[in-house]
Amino acid sequence: MLLLLAPALAVVGLLLVLPLGWLAWQSIYQDGFTPEHYLRILQEDIYWNTFRLTFSISASVTVLAALLGFPVAYAAARLPPRWATVVLALVVIPFWTSVLVRAYAWLVLLQRRGVINQVLMDLGIVDEPLALVHNATGTIIGTVHVLLPFMVLPLYAVMRKIPGDLLNAAASLGARPGYVFARVFLPLSAPGLLAGAMLVFVLCLGFYITPELLGGGRTIMVSMLVQRNVELYHRWGAASAVGLTLLFVVFAIFWIVDRVLPLERVYGAR
Amino acid sequence: MSVIRREATRLAAALAVCLAASAAAAADQITFVSQGGSYQEAQTKAILDPAAKALGITIKQDSSADAYPVVKTQVATGKIVWDVIDVAAGYCLRGAAEGLLEKLDLALIPNAKDLDPAFRSDHAVGYITYSTVLAWRTDKYGKNGPQTWADFWDVKKFPGRRSLRNYARPTLEIALMADGVPADKLYPLDVARAYRKLAEIKPHITTWWTSGGQSAQLIRDGEVDMIMAWNGRVGAVMKDGAKVDYHYNQAVLENTSLCVLKGTPNRVASMKFLNEAIAPRNQAALPLLIDYGPVNLKAYDTGIIPAARAAQLPTHPDNFRRQAVLSAAWWASPEGAKAEEGWLAFMQR
Amino acid sequence: MPASGRWGKVAFALLVGAILLFLIAPVVIVVPMSFSDTRFMSFPPERWSLRWYRAYLESAAWMDATRVSLSVAFLTTLVATPVGVAAAYAINASTLRAVRAFQLVLLAPLMVPIIIVAAGIFFVYAKIGLITTIAGLVLAHVMLALPYVLVATLAGLRSFDMTQEMVARSLGMNRMRSFLAVTLPQIRPSVVTGALFAFIASLDETVVALFISGGDNQTLTKRMFTALRDEIDPTIAAISSLLIATSFLLVLLTGSAGRRAR
Repeated sequence: MLLLLAPALAVVGLLLVLPLGWLAWQSIYQDGFTPEHYLRILQEDIYWNTFRLTFSISASVTVLAALLGFPVAYAAARLPPRWATVVLALVVIPFWTSVLVRAYAWLVLLQRRGVINQVLMDLGIVDEPLALVHNATGTIIGTVHVLLPFMVLPLYAVMRKIPGDLLNAAASLGARPGYVFARVFLPLSAPGLLAGAMLVFVLCLGFYITPELLGGGRTIMVSMLVQRNVELYHRWGAASAVGLTLLFVVFAIFWIVDRVLPLERVYGAR
Repeated sequence: MSVIRREATRLAAALAVCLAASAAAAADQITFVSQGGSYQEAQTKAILDPAAKALGITIKQDSSADAYPVVKTQVATGKIVWDVIDVAAGYCLRGAAEGLLEKLDLALIPNAKDLDPAFRSDHAVGYITYSTVLAWRTDKYGKNGPQTWADFWDVKKFPGRRSLRNYARPTLEIALMADGVPADKLYPLDVARAYRKLAEIKPHITTWWTSGGQSAQLIRDGEVDMIMAWNGRVGAVMKDGAKVDYHYNQAVLENTSLCVLKGTPNRVASMKFLNEAIAPRNQAALPLLIDYGPVNLKAYDTGIIPAARAAQLPTHPDNFRRQAVLSAAWWASPEGAKAEEGWLAFMQR
Repeated sequence: MPASGRWGKVAFALLVGAILLFLIAPVVIVVPMSFSDTRFMSFPPERWSLRWYRAYLESAAWMDATRVSLSVAFLTTLVATPVGVAAAYAINASTLRAVRAFQLVLLAPLMVPIIIVAAGIFFVYAKIGLITTIAGLVLAHVMLALPYVLVATLAGLRSFDMTQEMVARSLGMNRMRSFLAVTLPQIRPSVVTGALFAFIASLDETVVALFISGGDNQTLTKRMFTALRDEIDPTIAAISSLLIATSFLLVLLTGSAGRRAR
């Protein structure tokens, strides 16, 4: 049995564990052991600010994804199967569309002379085009779009299993719909919300493509710091330390969530 | 018997060596790496094909936007695929410092002595030049657009949307000139002063561009009214009929350099290629196809470049003297590296 | 949602519709733009033309990149599928406690932020000279695609009654043969789904490719990324439309494979 596992474990060991180990080594060893790369994260503003910005963007994205994802998941779970399929397809199609394609589309839609600004100006809602892209706004819009399916799908999986009878029963006992929703439906869908929120938050922490293309170089996320340190400044030690710090944060989140919700379930392996 | 056999073996070996050598000589080839696109196509016509013909070698081409990590890998592993690379001058200096490059063999590169000392080093020769200029919309400011970087900073006299490059180099030089530092007294850069000056204009910058294409799009579409941009990009936009103009006052002149990877089996052919690449007539042919200036000023004496065209080029004597010349050596120094990294912090403030 | 009353329901439907529009509009809008006649990005286009498709098909650079991406995706699928299926089989059949740990390790490629994976692989490859090689790309993509095959196959195996395989073995087939003859045909839709996921995952993978592909072996995604950072030209719209069509087709295929599974 273990023999069957061996190739897969070898692949992950050589191409994931080994590189991560390498990062760890490189982050503390440069012509001798040194804590310099980690100290820099604490001391230099740029590193500290970048981590802070990354967290605040991830938090906003998670909240937005929850607000947008919940109604969609609810609709998919409560609609008759045929309509539910349509809703799910509309969620899954973007999910399987390249992140690059979507970044391109958002550039087209959001830029100064883009479709959205044109419409807003034609309707007389604004006089000057809004700065929707090449800044944090663009990053957040694009990222929410990419990560929304990661919120909807776990939510849907949980909501689908909440029996409609239960809600009807509560209602028949005289509970107002708002009350049924808050006291029965919401708690029952909490595991899906937790799984979705964790996925979105963690993915956003390490997100690279969308912020790089839509952030206009002003919204610098941790991932971009890693990339710049590797390719622009050739400071591999610094890149490794930043990457490893991020990894530590991500694993800490996994560890906490795993107490409540086994990770295999989040990732669909059970 | 055994003697004969030994002799025969030796003969065969010698023959094989000869054959291999002649095969190598016949197939003398180098791999040249540049940055692709229309830039590389123009080089092919103006420089690479004539050079290959003159030297009787084959020049294979590759392109890479970020050659440096690949060069590092090739040299470190000893698997040299590339021979000559065309990169920003600073990369050659850094590569030389890290021991990735062959020292130039000046006996094979007689043309190198014609280059301005700013355009050559022990491990690299300059290749082409370009300038970062101040361009503006003529439908906004007419012919009398902003003349200096001080004007660019003057938001009262020249109201409008502005764009700068999202990169320290040469934006720091430009900030210092805006603050009154003369073009020939820039180095070593007063980095703190430059960032202070940049902080003044930061609230008025609508877009910090990250690529040449983006800068062209910004000024062509009128997304901004003035911009720092490369002369070639602005020239192309003007040729498209956009209402844009620029000049070389206080522009910053830069060059790309050619350097040779350490340990290449084609060292001699590579050096000879370098010599051809900076030969006056090849250098003069390039600006006919694309908006880059020669590094070898003798190109202007060949008669190949028409006067009207020459006047548009960054290294034309009339333009050259109005500009600052970027010091790749300073940027490759530890202070330069630190200044470059300071950029991210500045953007986030 | 407390959607009470007719107006509440209408409002809720509008809300969901708006969110779905937000999801799908950016994917849809690319297609008409790719048939535009001008370089400027206007929507809807003033005149229609195929020039951007021609620009894509006639560019040697784009064609090379496409070839690299397709071959890498194909090779990735070829390697990742058997490796993933074997692992899923082992995990499903085993009762060991350690298997949970292994399973988490095999899912780790989904959990570790991709930028860190990319940087780490870049450093290792730089040391051993695998940068800008097809082999290097395929290996990295196999690792990234493995979880998809694993999850899909596990789902199939869980709904499969293992006693059938036992019966086959009691009839004298060895384990391998009984798996191939009895189990595999029944879980085939899940395996196909996993393989298709692996293919799409490799085809769309960008960050690792940005770090380790280059020279002759640049992937389509790397080229697109570079192009998007530079001038945005509608060739990207044409390529995007083709990619959307490909994903769409593959998802339909997986969908029908999945339905047959049920």
